[in-house]
Amino acid sequence: MNSLPSRPGLGAHAVTISRVADNQWHAIENDLVVGRGHASRRLDGRIFLSIDTWRDEVFDQLAAAMLADQRAPRYTVVDETDRDLAASWVRAGFATWRRETEYVVRTEFPTAAAPDGVVIATGDQVAKAPLRELDLAIRAEVESTVGWYTMPAEVLPWQGGTMPIDPSKYTVAMQGDRYVGLVRVAMMTRRPRIGLIAVLAAEQRRGIGRALLSQLLAGLHRCGYEAATTEVDETNKAATALFEGLGGRRTGSSLELIHRPGKA
Amino acid sequence: MPRSAGGIEVEGTVIECLRNANFRVELTNGHQVLAHISGKIRKNYIKILPEDRVLVELSPYDLDRGRIIFRYRT
Repeated sequence: MNSLPSRPGLGAHAVTISRVADNQWHAIENDLVVGRGHASRRLDGRIFLSIDTWRDEVFDQLAAAMLADQRAPRYTVVDETDRDLAASWVRAGFATWRRETEYVVRTEFPTAAAPDGVVIATGDQVAKAPLRELDLAIRAEVESTVGWYTMPAEVLPWQGGTMPIDPSKYTVAMQGDRYVGLVRVAMMTRRPRIGLIAVLAAEQRRGIGRALLSQLLAGLHRCGYEAATTEVDETNKAATALFEGLGGRRTGSSLELIHRPGKA
Repeated sequence: MPRSAGGIEVEGTVIECLRNANFRVELTNGHQVLAHISGKIRKNYIKILPEDRVLVELSPYDLDRGRIIFRYRT
């Protein structure tokens, strides 16, 4: 355990920052934990930090300790309306990196027809082999173009090995015997979350994404769900237009902040 | 082993989502607090909605404020 004492303010007890595990820090004052810091590595390799404390000065000390020996960028996520928290991270040397808009989409929506030659399939109609082939093709396109960092947390790059894939979570667009587009939904506790919608680059601008999404929403509606949620990177104009075209309502936004070594 | 300064953790139900990423939570004893979400919940994209059952850590400085540290799966 590494401890880093700090100078107390006037009339205050000294706060000591202790690294209690590889990814956890505690701020201790008068034998009480008055703040906690946590670091977690996402599957895309990026390290995200969080700090929970009730006092700004403790936040600053925890942030300084957590950033002291970094050699790679660190990230964090804040609600855009949480200006106090965002200001705390900015004090620690973080800057805005990207923004995600959160949408709620009502499921009661007229179904959009798929373009000629394209059939939308879902649930037990989805086969594993062509789905895996499409998934790999889309991953390759993402990696060679916009990069994973523009994707929501659940859209993760394949880490190698045997990739688990559950066809029941997908709705796919079939053209002949191959799959050209997919949408994946996570059945969260209260509201389904659309984790990924993607169409092969060569098949885009044909209305496949809209057909996929509208048929997914229709299926959710039949299951009794009134709405689904999703997050869209603000630079992804196509996804923004797609969700807003289907009546998606902006409900909030998150800021992803970055701290680069030596830039504090 | 140092103890947590927050200490008091209480179950409650989210009754309203407010501006500035805050939530009004009614605790099991009927008391209402203003709570924000913990860094870990935010980092993991866990959404908090009205009627969610949550665990709240109360502020040692103001018992009308708290931090949502867990959302129950109900």
